[in-house]
Amino acid sequence: MNAPTGRAPGNRKAFLLVGSPKGKKSTSSVLGSWLMAKLEAGGMATAAMTAAEALRSTQDQHRMHKAVDAAELFVVSFPLYVDQLPAPLVQALELVADRRKGLLPASPAAGPMVQRVVTIVQCGFPETRQNRAAVDIMRQFAKESGFEWAGALAMGMGGAVAGKPLEKAGGMVRNVVKALDMAADALLDGRSVPPEAEALIGRRLMPAWIHTFFGNRGMKRAAKKRGALKRITDRPFCRAR
Amino acid sequence: MNILLLNGGPGDARGAVCRRIKSAVEDGARSRGWTVTAFDLDGMNIGPCRACFACWLKNPGVCAVKDEQEPVLRAMAAVDAQVWITPVTFGGYGPALKKALDRAIPNILPFFIRIRGEVHHPLRYEKRCGFLVAGTLASPDEEAERIFHHLARRNALNLGGGATESVVFHGDMEEAAISTRVKDLLGAVGEAL
Repeated sequence: MNAPTGRAPGNRKAFLLVGSPKGKKSTSSVLGSWLMAKLEAGGMATAAMTAAEALRSTQDQHRMHKAVDAAELFVVSFPLYVDQLPAPLVQALELVADRRKGLLPASPAAGPMVQRVVTIVQCGFPETRQNRAAVDIMRQFAKESGFEWAGALAMGMGGAVAGKPLEKAGGMVRNVVKALDMAADALLDGRSVPPEAEALIGRRLMPAWIHTFFGNRGMKRAAKKRGALKRITDRPFCRAR
Repeated sequence: MNILLLNGGPGDARGAVCRRIKSAVEDGARSRGWTVTAFDLDGMNIGPCRACFACWLKNPGVCAVKDEQEPVLRAMAAVDAQVWITPVTFGGYGPALKKALDRAIPNILPFFIRIRGEVHHPLRYEKRCGFLVAGTLASPDEEAERIFHHLARRNALNLGGGATESVVFHGDMEEAAISTRVKDLLGAVGEAL
């Protein structure tokens, strides 16, 4: 079944905006790209950009606007930063919203094409619920910018992916892959992210105590490797006062 | 008591209500004998976080990006209360304030601990701090305001916050009304510390 998007089959487009400062090497890019590959296999043309790229110059902003205008599906993938979206992504979405608010009466978005927003968000903590405010913000962005809300895929323990291709991230992320595949099928059909996919990706990858134990050990090892373990709890601003 | 005020409002006409709130905070703090360190973030050279984690794993507590964020970090580590002012942006914070908050990770530790049943990072500087988070909206929006208040509470939990108050002011609010409300909220944060 094809979606009632107002677009002829074969002319369907999806645009991925990656909000991570790590850009294309990030977990956000890995998760978003997996979804995009599935959408592409289902007949959608895809394009991707990072928020940092979009803010680089007015030409790049224009490229972002053009891609958003043409997309039936706008996918926004990002890591949780201080309980919400990273600053450059807020800035990029503000530009999208401002433009759409100003141009709505005459813009392509006001035409017959239904444009939808779907989001992928991950945090380093084990609890998926820590992403709630960020998902709410994305839903509000969709509302204020005239997009239809197509749902969110939120997960904890994003460190389990750590920027690795999902094929190489191991069995721990099998539910993540399943959820992304289920979401892609639904989105291709013009439906929102199914609740089953939301629940699947939101499942804890391991008990919180194991995450904390190995997380703390990993941090110490990483600091030791850089010769910083003894200084890891330093308070440079106390010394300076 | 020492207060850090971060004004994330735009430097142009769109930031007028943010500036009114800022003045009210400064007046309210002064009348109580408190000291205020204020930053107008929109005009400052503060770049986005690069997620390099050098501030955790290479030079602990020190940001690798050398710009005007350092005095903000220094103040965050020392004050008793922080006041954040921002246009409500899709229910969240505007980019100027968000950039400064994203760059605050040198002031937390890389480790994981449990706080109220959730995993968070401990603070590098153990000082418990109060928060007043003030947003501005051109007109009321119930959902955006709900998200904003929820977010302020989440941030306070993450940053080891003590007393936390949040408020949203609308574009048509009189200066006197803003001033009265801000003074009440400042008082509530101060008394709880």
